[in-house]
Amino acid sequence: MKLASVGSKFVFVLFFVLGLALAAGTPAGTEIRNQASAKYTDSSGQPQTTTSNEVVTVVQPVYGFTLTPDGTEAAPGQIKTGLQGAPVYFNYTVTNTGNIADTVQLTAPQGTSDSFDFTSVKIYHDANCNGTIDPGEAEVSSVSLDADASTCVIVEAVIPAGEADGNTGHANLSGTSVGDPAQTDTANWARAVVTSQAVLDAAKGSSPSGAVVPGAAIDYAVQGSNKGGSAAGAVTGVAVVDGSPLDGILVADAVPAHTTYVLGSAGGTAGAGSATVIYKVGGAWTTTEPASGSDVSEVALLIEGAGAFFPQGAQYRLGFQVTVDAGTPAGTTIENTATVNFDANGDGDAGDTGEQVGSNTTRTPVAASRAVLNGPAGDPDSDGAGFASSYTDPGGTTWTYTETTDTSDPRNDDAQRINEAVHGGDVVYFKNSLTNGGNVEDSYTLDLSGVPAGWTCQVMAADATTPMANPVGPLVAGATLDYVVKCSIPANVTTASDTDLTARATSTNDPAVWNETHDVIPPVLSGYALDLAKDGASTDNDPTNDNPASQAVDPGATAFYGFEVANTGQNPDTYDLSVTVPAGMTATVYPDPDCDGVLDSPAPAPVTDSGLVNPGSKACFVLAVQVPDGAPPLTQDPNDPADDNVTITATSNANPAISDTITTDVAVNPVADLRFSPDRNGTVTSPGTIVYTHTVSNLGNEAASVTFAESGSTHPGWTYQISTDGGATWTDVASAAPINLTPGSSQQVQVRVIVPDGEPIGAIDTNQITANANYPTATDDSASVTDTTTVVGGDLRIEKRGETCADAACATVTSADGSQAKPGEYIRYTVTASNIGTADLKKVIVSDPLPGYTDFVSVSASTSVAGAQPLFSTDGTNWSTTAPATLATGQAVFVGLDSNGDGAIDENDLLAPGESLTLVFTVQVQ
Amino acid sequence: MNLRRAAWAAVFFVLAVAAAPPLWLELASFRVLQVTNADGERLEVFERAASAAPGETLEWRLAATNRSDRALEDVVLVIPVPPGTRYLADSAEPLELGGVVVRPEFSFDGGVRFARPPLYKKVVVVVDGIEQEQEVEVKPEAYTHVRWVLPALDAGQTVTVRLRTVVR
Repeated sequence: MKLASVGSKFVFVLFFVLGLALAAGTPAGTEIRNQASAKYTDSSGQPQTTTSNEVVTVVQPVYGFTLTPDGTEAAPGQIKTGLQGAPVYFNYTVTNTGNIADTVQLTAPQGTSDSFDFTSVKIYHDANCNGTIDPGEAEVSSVSLDADASTCVIVEAVIPAGEADGNTGHANLSGTSVGDPAQTDTANWARAVVTSQAVLDAAKGSSPSGAVVPGAAIDYAVQGSNKGGSAAGAVTGVAVVDGSPLDGILVADAVPAHTTYVLGSAGGTAGAGSATVIYKVGGAWTTTEPASGSDVSEVALLIEGAGAFFPQGAQYRLGFQVTVDAGTPAGTTIENTATVNFDANGDGDAGDTGEQVGSNTTRTPVAASRAVLNGPAGDPDSDGAGFASSYTDPGGTTWTYTETTDTSDPRNDDAQRINEAVHGGDVVYFKNSLTNGGNVEDSYTLDLSGVPAGWTCQVMAADATTPMANPVGPLVAGATLDYVVKCSIPANVTTASDTDLTARATSTNDPAVWNETHDVIPPVLSGYALDLAKDGASTDNDPTNDNPASQAVDPGATAFYGFEVANTGQNPDTYDLSVTVPAGMTATVYPDPDCDGVLDSPAPAPVTDSGLVNPGSKACFVLAVQVPDGAPPLTQDPNDPADDNVTITATSNANPAISDTITTDVAVNPVADLRFSPDRNGTVTSPGTIVYTHTVSNLGNEAASVTFAESGSTHPGWTYQISTDGGATWTDVASAAPINLTPGSSQQVQVRVIVPDGEPIGAIDTNQITANANYPTATDDSASVTDTTTVVGGDLRIEKRGETCADAACATVTSADGSQAKPGEYIRYTVTASNIGTADLKKVIVSDPLPGYTDFVSVSASTSVAGAQPLFSTDGTNWSTTAPATLATGQAVFVGLDSNGDGAIDENDLLAPGESLTLVFTVQVQ
Repeated sequence: MNLRRAAWAAVFFVLAVAAAPPLWLELASFRVLQVTNADGERLEVFERAASAAPGETLEWRLAATNRSDRALEDVVLVIPVPPGTRYLADSAEPLELGGVVVRPEFSFDGGVRFARPPLYKKVVVVVDGIEQEQEVEVKPEAYTHVRWVLPALDAGQTVTVRLRTVVR
């Protein structure tokens, strides 16, 4: 045995892609991606979804190849006859069964259980697999193949000259993978048998030499010649044609599976005899072509003749055409082998060695014919049939769609558009269908384009929950996969026109194969909306009843308005609440959880916004408008929104362009309030004069014109006069000029009482002086004081006046006449006893009770009498130089004049004419 | 500086925790290798599967943890059969959870419908020129998704479900 020498000058490294059977597995480098998902119900009863991490596993390379036909040395895979000194040719197919491109090193060692070694053994690459070494087909020592690809090689073995008939020689085409040298195939033995009789060879070719797709044509040609040492003879009854057994040489070729004979395509010639093309129809030969090519199962060339009629060198040829059946899966190999039956030894049969010759086998792979159909759910081919016009998403929302198709488009353009209104914040869904329209399993990359910035769009599995990672598939030929496009629209988005999301499915194996479908979202409406209205009037779709009722209040009072803001949008939102009110008024908004329009007690903390309001919910509030004291009357028409002077505006925080405003009125009532005080008491001698000071105040909110009247003296001859200018001029009370008092202003008026001579001691005169205020709109008001004057016989006159102070020391006087006092303020009374007579007065004691609703603060006294001292007592009996520190309600303080300084008040204590004793008594208003 | 970095780290951690879903899923894949030990016993060995060759078996393990402080109900765990692989029959095991056996369910339509095997689908075949609808069994190789429907998952509880696929 010797190793066949393999020429090295024609070593080619070629890659052949004759077809991808995908039998060898997923291509090396492919990423297997997986991501789990889960659905669950959380503790609040809400359905939730979540996904896991994504796991990526890369497919490793696997090497493998086959050489066929297989054979052992004892039972070779192929046997050829040949003349001594001439070459024989053995045809092999090399197939890469791995998942990665590889190079197979080829050798052809000779056998050890045979008669001879070949003179030479060479390996040729039969690039077009036609079974013969064509010009340009080189000697090789290796072939390189893509994954799943196959190609042909021919081993040329030359029989030594002088070998006797019947001697045998063996060769074994062997291969080793370069990528994985452990992968070998070393059992592909072939045998050559030496003969000197006729040898008809048969070489079969096919065109195209490469892969075909369904629908394509394959031209087959089988040809050969008598390369033997004598003429070939006819086989008796080699075929029964149209019922008649005929003699001759038969070159037969079956129409391969997955193909159909093309009518009129068969033709043949022969260098000797009479050549006729015959067809096998229904299992019987006929010379007549049937009406349908699919009825032809076999085509043959019948070369009729008698005896040894086909001489050395005579040639024959049979050719015909088939088409590859539609739907033939990619990776299918269409194999075809022709056979020749002849008689080599003159015994009239084809049963002896070498009398039945098989050609090489042509292998035509069916290539991947890739196509992808991508359209709306149910209508991937976008012809409008089967379109699923509605889809219910995982949240239970049912979407409906309108489909448009364009079958004039080369790729059948199509779109489905949502019929429902879409709002910002919505999550929209489209269900689409993807079909593998090719003849090979394929995977696809699904890409979404046209997604506006900020939107989140995902391709999900048909459950709309599991994210779908690219590539999707693989899908076997004809299989359909539904997927869902899920798009979350940002809450603050609105669009003026349609949004076209284009989902493109692209074959991962052929980027030129793609198909698009358009998922169209109509103009996105605002996801934010609100309705501001008085309590109970939101969301009733009646904007005419939204305004709260008008309110009219007095100055210093508060007007309340109940209102509510309803979130009529699709998303949670917070609303800023702004209020405008007339100048000088203050507005405060309080929450009103019970929505009764009444401010709760205690009042909750004021707010300036609504807080978060969920879609479909509302929040209630009370607006309090504080009218300041003394505010002038304000008249509003409650039926005329145009003059409304209170506005409430709620503005979306998320989208400040969204707001709602309601209006109402706050009116201020005209208020009449005239005050005139205090009543006065005085003593006077007869004749004598006394002046009382009063204060008239306008506490209403309009200017008042004040006139005076009197009830009149009960004593004839007594005269009452009034002065409104501080005593400069005096008039009758009724004749006094009106005084105008602006709101909140006061004015002092003096009333003078002139007592005529001769009035009896103890005479008392009472006169009620009335101030009448005339208001422009408010009801007129009046107030009165009563002056009581007592005629005294002595010459002691008691005058008492009061003043209101902010502090106990009376540093700040708030009311000069003590007519008004607020709780906590101080009133200081000054009582002055004066001797207005002409003789001394004895044992002068002045007392003053603690007024009701007051607390005693202090008392002090002084006198104008030189050397005298005032003494204090709380009972009029026991005297002290020290003023009392306390005084109970109902008690009075006594001050006596101790002119002789003996510590007692008695007849010896004198108040000389013109002298006085003064008591200062301070109390605090409770 | 370190304090500031720590503070930022703390802030980030808080945010990360706040964003974590109550149900935490972790998926891992392992190559299933057959080895023979010194005693001649055949054993299965698992290797983390960054890569795998055609024909090799991958085991997918999905660990689901309830990280919330409340029980979660109706927890549906789904492991897809990833493209490039096929489901290995009988490899998805039932899960025993609190005395209840949760059997896996299978889908062949991309996870839309699930049922326990055998699964059937209707196909249209032509018999003697007449279209007929026939029900045929879907082989496990064609399964696309496997799920386990858990009645509840207690707070802090972790369950692991698994299945195997073979690299095509």
